[in-house]
Amino acid sequence: MKQHLGRQAGVQKVDVNLLDGKVDVTPKEDGQIDPIQLLKATYDSGVTVAEMELTASGKIVKDSSGNLALQVELNRSFAFAPNELSKGLEPLAGTQTIVTVRGQLYKKAGKKKADLSTPLKLLILEVQKEVQKKE
Amino acid sequence: MKTRTGRRIALLLLLGSTVVVPVARAQVKHIEMRVEGMT
Repeated sequence: MKQHLGRQAGVQKVDVNLLDGKVDVTPKEDGQIDPIQLLKATYDSGVTVAEMELTASGKIVKDSSGNLALQVELNRSFAFAPNELSKGLEPLAGTQTIVTVRGQLYKKAGKKKADLSTPLKLLILEVQKEVQKKE
Repeated sequence: MKTRTGRRIALLLLLGSTVVVPVARAQVKHIEMRVEGMT
């Protein structure tokens, strides 16, 4: 699995802890990493993902449906699962402020197989910092 | 003496203007997964 994940775009380093089943992925700075693709690649390697958390920085944007999202690349954003922390970020929508958040992108529900065809939502667990980006 | 102080101030100003300020950047910084069925 380590080699399989290490071959994915944008992956710099993969650390696997067999004892507690933890997999740490360090992305390259090229911004090519796609967490959803990583999730699929993990399933392809024959193991089940119970949970995926990520730390990411980006701008707060509102999508066409008015949902808040974290935009990490021009063509990549993660819609927020609404909670108190995401509500607190609403005033920053559409601004140049870069926010770093830690959140849960995926959690296995029961014994059901993961449905990766629908977009996953990022449940914010922690807002780490906000930096006003200069134009 | 005054020239020396002047040089020091000029050097400090030069260093101050070249200090690299970390730029906030949008990116995925870290991903952590908990997996099951790994041998």
